[in-house]
Amino acid sequence: MELVVRKTELLRELQLFQGIVERKNTIPILANVLIEAKGDEVRMLATDLEVALRSHCQAAVAKAGSLTLPAKKLYEIVKALPETDVRIEEDKNGVKVAADRFDSRMQTLPREDFPTLPDASGKARATLPRQALREMVAKTQFAITGEDTRYFLNGAKFVLTPNSLTLVATDGHRLALVEVQHNVGVTQDVGVILPKKTLLELGKLLAEGEGDVQFESGENHLFFDVGGRVLISRMIDGQFPAYERVIPKGNDKTIEFERERLTNAVKRVALLSNERSRAVKLEIGKGKVVVTSSSSEFGEAHEELAVEYAGSAMTISFNAQYVLDFLNVVETDSVQLSLKDEVSQAVMKPVGADGYDYTYVIMPMRI
Amino acid sequence: MIRRILHIDMDAFYASVEQRDNPALRGKPVAVGGDPDKRGVVAAASYEARTFGVRSAVSMAQAVRLCPALEIVHPNFTKYRDVSRQVFDIFRRVTPLVEPLSLDEAYLDVTENAWGEPLGTTVAKRIKEEIRAATGLTASAGVAPNKFLAKIASGWQKPDGLTVIPPERVEVFLQNLPVDALWGVGPVTARKLRARGIETLTDVRTASPELLRDTVGSLADWLQQLARGEDDRAVVSEHEPKSSGSENTFERDLEDLDEIRREITGMACDAAAWLVRTERYARTVTVKVRYHDFTTITRSHSDAPTREEGAIVARALALVDKTEAGRRPIRLLGVSVHNLCTEPDPPEPQPRLPFEITASRP
Repeated sequence: MELVVRKTELLRELQLFQGIVERKNTIPILANVLIEAKGDEVRMLATDLEVALRSHCQAAVAKAGSLTLPAKKLYEIVKALPETDVRIEEDKNGVKVAADRFDSRMQTLPREDFPTLPDASGKARATLPRQALREMVAKTQFAITGEDTRYFLNGAKFVLTPNSLTLVATDGHRLALVEVQHNVGVTQDVGVILPKKTLLELGKLLAEGEGDVQFESGENHLFFDVGGRVLISRMIDGQFPAYERVIPKGNDKTIEFERERLTNAVKRVALLSNERSRAVKLEIGKGKVVVTSSSSEFGEAHEELAVEYAGSAMTISFNAQYVLDFLNVVETDSVQLSLKDEVSQAVMKPVGADGYDYTYVIMPMRI
Repeated sequence: MIRRILHIDMDAFYASVEQRDNPALRGKPVAVGGDPDKRGVVAAASYEARTFGVRSAVSMAQAVRLCPALEIVHPNFTKYRDVSRQVFDIFRRVTPLVEPLSLDEAYLDVTENAWGEPLGTTVAKRIKEEIRAATGLTASAGVAPNKFLAKIASGWQKPDGLTVIPPERVEVFLQNLPVDALWGVGPVTARKLRARGIETLTDVRTASPELLRDTVGSLADWLQQLARGEDDRAVVSEHEPKSSGSENTFERDLEDLDEIRREITGMACDAAAWLVRTERYARTVTVKVRYHDFTTITRSHSDAPTREEGAIVARALALVDKTEAGRRPIRLLGVSVHNLCTEPDPPEPQPRLPFEITASRP
């Protein structure tokens, strides 16, 4: 194999693979990226067996072929090179990566060891609006637990209906749900659980560029085609909890906050919250909400916010981090908090969100 | 307070029982175990056989080569268990603090004893006499201020021995013991220690902690403690149960889901009742299903500790849904509780969203 590729183009693609390859891998080949040169492009593929990314960029191919190189090392080298052409060439002594006056020889692993990944069949496709999908991922992924024994909570539920798409994630304490009305081109409902890593990498792919995302659900894998880059994800088996049932319908006490003021108040007051519980208390009264905290070790803090509220007084506590997680991904000027009582699920929503419906459910803490 | 610990070990237990019951074997080399031509091994050897080098765990073929006149007796464990029960009954009449090590060996804490005997030695002597009277067998006893020393002492003179290490003689006794005598030192560790010139307990005591740690790792502190004759391990009379449950094989295979759920509910209630009775909580509920073709599966679910009947039944039933119950005939069902603890978790300051009970990964 022998090819020449622009440094900037190769670097842009290689960067996207850095999150895909597993760092502490016990299977050496999974630290490598598979490079295939053919026609006038170079195709790349990497996987940790849960998530895979297939990508490509333009190249001048002198000799078609394929080989594997350590994804991280290759990225570091390409990144350090000057803005010029990079030559990757395999001869009987190994693989050469060269540019300008730089020359290197890299260890390779047999191409045959690289796992085979399924291809999208082209059937059962849906067209997802890019901007909306980006919002959905950003507004839910933080609520997925890292390592829950309840295996299915280690992912987010993704539901497509003929005229909507929904993404839901929960760690059992709070739940984030985004629904977007859009005709995605499916004729029947599709419901799958996406691993946390898939959402993370999908979020990165969606960060720049335009154009709809082609989605396909295969037998055990899901395919997201984002502008020619294809993210392939294993599906999580299992039953996602019946999330509709924990979203309260009868929260009759509603308070609107200026998002920024609430965010800042919670951030500041939380500095003196109990280190372990991170609890902040909202003392709700006529025309005001006082955010308070206390820590036996450090002291106490409070900050008063003027609000329009004429209902009965009440006090409710939340984990400050859960509240901030929501506030940090919302961009509307105002947010709404609706409550039933001190112990039932509270709901937070952005006010006047455009193009999506965002519901964030938090379980209050015991005071 | 100085404790009085006994280690009592029946002499060549299985072989002695066989010699007792068959006069023709008395005074002869006897090995209890499997056939030499069927890869049998020696489970116990009489003292007559031991003089030929026949010991437990050697292959019977080897034993016969060492002692061609060896009398081979097939083991009769039912009988040994019965005799063992007689012996342990004697122990338990003296003290409730009896820690069995095997059928023929136990630690007893006789600091307080039913006979009101102030001296461990007298207790040991009386127990040996009672064992002989009840079973016709001999035992060797060690009397010492802790388990480690008591066990070494009982092995000091055998058979029918009684060795006492009073607190003031611990020092003399320990000085020249080889490192193998230490609890936790097997042949491999002993070899490592010897390679560093550590051969006796005195060497262990005087070795630098760094050198010792380098040789035996985390065992170092423990070994130095033992080498000084210090061992504060308690005599534990009964091991804490790790689980409880029941299972039931049905006369005819169960196919009706309602009937299956009724059976599961009954067994889950029993498990909950046991938890309440023994003042425990369980984190894990396990359901076992054996289908008509004997394929057996278990499904488990773990959550906060509970002893509530309703919660345990609900978890067990949710687990049934993860099996093929109702679709495949079932011959056996079981429910058990594991991961036991004596206190419930303190209430979590952050409660959970009220999801329906869900089970773990199928």
